[in-house]
Parts: sequence; C-alpha cells; structure tokens
Amino acid sequence: MTDRPEAIIEVNSLTAGYPGRPVLEQVSFQVYQGEVFVIIGRSGSGKSTLLKHLIGLNPPLAGTIRIEGVDLGSVRGRDRRRLLRSFGVLYQSGALFGSMTVLENVRLPLDEFTELPPAAKDFVALSKLKLVGLATAAQSLPAELSGGMQKRAAIARAMALDPRILFLDEPSVGLDPITSAGLDELIKRLADDFAITFVIVTHELESIYRIASRLIMVDDRSRAIIAEGKPADLRDHATDPRVRRFFLRQPDSDVAVSPTQTL
Amino acid sequence: MRPCVLMQPQDQSVSRVAIQVEEHPAGHAKVTLEGRLDSETAGPWWRDLEKRLQARPITSLEVDASRLDLQGGIGIALLRFIQDGAMTPRASVTISGLSPTRQKIMEVFTREDFRTHQARRPERLSFATEVGVVTRAMLKDVGEQVTFIGAVVRAVPGVIIRPKRLRWQEVKRVLESAGANALPMVALFSWLVGLVLALEAAHPLAKLGAQIFIADMIGFASIRDTGPLVTAIMLAGRSGSAFAAELGTMKVNEELDALKTMGLEPVRFLVIQRVLAAMLLSPLLALYAMAMGILGGVMVMRFLGFPPRMIFHQILGRVQVGDLSVGLLKSLLFGLIIGGVGCLRGLQTKQGARAVGDSTTRSVVACIILIILANTLFSAVDYFLTRPS
Repeated sequence: MTDRPEAIIEVNSLTAGYPGRPVLEQVSFQVYQGEVFVIIGRSGSGKSTLLKHLIGLNPPLAGTIRIEGVDLGSVRGRDRRRLLRSFGVLYQSGALFGSMTVLENVRLPLDEFTELPPAAKDFVALSKLKLVGLATAAQSLPAELSGGMQKRAAIARAMALDPRILFLDEPSVGLDPITSAGLDELIKRLADDFAITFVIVTHELESIYRIASRLIMVDDRSRAIIAEGKPADLRDHATDPRVRRFFLRQPDSDVAVSPTQTL
Repeated sequence: MRPCVLMQPQDQSVSRVAIQVEEHPAGHAKVTLEGRLDSETAGPWWRDLEKRLQARPITSLEVDASRLDLQGGIGIALLRFIQDGAMTPRASVTISGLSPTRQKIMEVFTREDFRTHQARRPERLSFATEVGVVTRAMLKDVGEQVTFIGAVVRAVPGVIIRPKRLRWQEVKRVLESAGANALPMVALFSWLVGLVLALEAAHPLAKLGAQIFIADMIGFASIRDTGPLVTAIMLAGRSGSAFAAELGTMKVNEELDALKTMGLEPVRFLVIQRVLAAMLLSPLLALYAMAMGILGGVMVMRFLGFPPRMIFHQILGRVQVGDLSVGLLKSLLFGLIIGGVGCLRGLQTKQGARAVGDSTTRSVVACIILIILANTLFSAVDYFLTRPS
C-alpha cells in the first residue's frame, strides 16, 4: 500500500508502564484512519498497559501520544473532554453498570453529554442497541445477559456518542468460538458502515486473522515492538522465533519439556 | 510546544447545523440541513428545528440531508426519529439525499422497536400487595437468620475440638483493625459522655445538696449502660459494617463459591473468626470505655471541688462486682450480635456494586436495633430480678 490514509493515532518514542517499572520502552507506531489495528503479545507482555496509555488513563512515562493530532498528555480542560469523547472503550469485563438496565447504560453518555430531549435520547440509545443486535434486551439488567451479550451491550455504550475510534481490551476473552466469531463480524461491520477505527488488544489467533488489517506484537522481555505487519504476512514470513512461536502456538522451550518426558 | 489542533474547529459556526425551512402552500414544507451533525451539535440542532416547525400546519415534510455531514449513528437515528413523526406527528415525512449505506442503516431502526423497548415506568403496587411483599421478605429474613445462627453454632464444636483449624492470623487481624485501632474513638466518645452526664446532673443535684451522688450516677451509668452501649454502637459502625462489606465483596467476586467448591464452609472459614474476635473485643473495649466514662465524671467532680479520695470512696462503696459483670455480659452479647449480623448481611449480599453498599447499611441498622433492644431487655429483667422484696 503506497497511499496511506492519515494517521489517526501517532505514538512517538513512548515509554509505557508505571513509575520506576517501565514495561515498554521507546515504542513508536501509527494507527491509520479506518483500519482495524490489533495489538498482540503474550500474557503479561504489556498489551493492556499500552492500551491504558492510549486511552489516557495512565500518563506516558516518556514520549507522546497524539490522537487526531492532539497530544493526549498535555491537553487539558474542555479540549481534553472533547478528545475523550472522540473515542470509546470496551473494557475487558464489559464494565456495564450493574444497577442500570442495558438501555440506561447506553443512555448514560447521551444524558451527560448531549442536550437532546429524553425521547430522542431513548431513540438514539435503542438504535445503538439495534446495531449490535440487542434491542430486545434493552430492559434487562447486565447480570441477566450472557457474556457475549454483555460485550455487545458494552460496545453499544462505547459507541453512544459516535466515537471515531473504539478501543477494545480483549473483546473475545471468555466467549465461545461462535459468539466470538459473531463479535468479530460485528466489529467488521461497524468499521465498514461507520468508518470507525478500531484498536484491539487480543491474543485470539482466529480473531486476529478474521479482523486485523494490521498488527503489532509487543514483548516484555525486550520491552519493545518485535513485529509489525499484516497477520498473514507475519504468520508466513516472520523470522523472529518469538513471533513464529506465537503464530504456530508453540510453547516456550523451557516449559515444553516436562520432567516425565526427559526420563 | 503547543499541541496543534487539527480536527477541532474553534469557530462555532462551523460546528453548527444550518437549518433552512421553506414553506410551500397546502401544508408542504421543505427543510434543508447543512453542516456536521454529531453528538455535540445534535442537541441545539434538535431544539432549533423543533422551534421552527412548531405551530405550523404541516401535512407533508421533506428533509434534504444531502449537504449534511453525518458523523455516525446519532444523526442517522435522529433523522429516522423525525421520519417516524417525532416532530410532526400529523405529517408524512420523507428524508432525501442520504447515501445508500446511510439509507440502509436508517432502515434498520424502526418505530416498532422504539415502542416495544423504550424505558417503561415501574408499575405501582397496591397497598395490600406491598404489605404482602414486605411481610414475606421479613419472614424470609428471619428464616435466614435462624439458619445462620444454626450454622454458626454447628461450627463451634469443630473449632473447640481442633482450635488449630481456626485461622488465628485472621482473628489477630480483626482484633487489631476492629479493636486497637478503635481505642482513640471509643476513649473520646465515652469520656465525653461521662463528662456531659456529670455536667447535666450538677445543677439539679446542687439544689438538693446532693452533688456527691454524681459519683454514684457516673459509676452506675458507665459500668452498666453507657460503657457497653457506646462501645457496641461504635463497633457496629466501624466493624460490623466492615464485616458486611468484606464478605459482600467476596460474594460478588465469586470467592465464596470458590471456597464452597474447595469444600470449605464460608461459616467456618470466614464467619467464626469474625464473631469470635468481636466477642473478645467487645468486653475489653467496654472495660476501657467504662474507665474513660468514669474519668470524665471524676474530672467534673474535681472541678466542683470534691477531693479525689471522697469521689473514689463514693464510687467503690456503691458499684459492686455484680454491676460490672452485668456490663461485661451485655458487651459479650453485643459482640455476638455485631459479629453475627455483620457477617450474615455480608453473606446475604446480592449481585453488583450497589448490593455491597446495601448490605453494609443493613448490617449497621440491624446491629443498632438489636443492640438497643437487647439492652432494654437486660435492664428490664435486671430491674425485676433485683427488686427489693
């Protein structure tokens, strides 16, 4: 691809982690408008930490993150609120508010940030639920929904204010393969219909092949991005043994051989 | 370096939707929209349009959206809402100028969905039904309390036979957080109660020339009533609530289920320690509270000019070992109530973050009611038992 669309997220020499305990050092990458960008890595490799920096929950230890050209680290006040509204986040557990119905959950951002009359807000919230196929569950409490439905409801809430970017933290964790595939379909459809840019943290190989337009792989031992590219290219042509092992689902050499096998 | 702002136009006119309304004869109107319709501009736009369409005899409305920059679902949904007659209930509405994709998305939402699934107001119950519901809940609660007491009692012999199985580490932790850390507060509270009681009694007793009896009163009140009661209320607020919140959170996080599947009974594993700690603590703290209460009274008497020897002689001559044992016995019972109710409310927690808050409130309310009731019962029984015949 020669003519790239413009970068919607630019990460420059970011050091991610917690004060005194950096997880990733000096990483740089771009996410382009309209793509489904996936961050992969093994458990504990710093994927979720990186995501926390990208959504502004943790300040960068060093380096900058620009979303739509605005520096996330230095923007304050009204501009910061506006920037935060330009993206939605799906947390690993869904993080739906348990005491509210699904419809109320989706309506909450509309109540807080728009000045529409109540009936119009209900209509918009319901239309979001309809988009994720959950209009019939509007009056249910989150606890009454299955895991996959909770994830979809949380996506509807994340989309309530029409964000241009959606961050998803391990969306398919705890879901069966069929539900997980359905969720991938939904992500693809939303990306196409609404030109939403997705940034997804996951380690589900199936899901990566289905949805990712591009991915990066982070590694906590070298504290760096060790691979970047399209999933099929990385699977077939990666030379780094750590990347190959991930795509071929091979265990580490030190845990692969159990004592009984050496006997 | 200042951040460069690319996508956020500061000019208000750019981020507002321009509305043009043309009115034709025979009730036909055409609305032309231009600008960006997103979460920020939607509210003012809706109000503006509503104002301009109000009070016009419109029978057919055409909305031209071809120059509208639709950012996402909100704009499309609102156009659909207008098409369904949200603004002009009696007019036929057509939306034109949408791209085929947008048109397709708009077709997805229907008025039917809205009618069926929009927020319903909870129906009001009749008085009789409400009484029934509350009574049933209370009976169920009593049943659960009896079951719980049974479970605690059943777990006691096991602990006596094999005390090592009790997790003493946990008992120690509770003793520290609920006991040692509560000392300053209990001290302040009881000392002030003693002080106030003595001050209030000083003037009336002076009229009778009986101020020396402040000593008797403070001794009796602190040892038999205020000491144990103040301690218990303090414990209920500080520690009974903490028990409920701890166990409630564990229940919400499925930790209690994890214990059960490991073959460990939550009552033996979590409750006994807390009940035991509360029962140990309550009399000890009460003893401390009694001393502080008497100290407060003595300070007032010193202020009134009584010599220390006279005050102590008066107190010791009146208050007997029996009074102290009544106070301590009460405290022991209060400790049992606080530990038991706190843990029970924790175990009864339902799902969700709010449930933990509910359990905490319920535990404090129930503890204080039971403590006051038990205290009254004690006083009444004691009065009739020790009545001079």
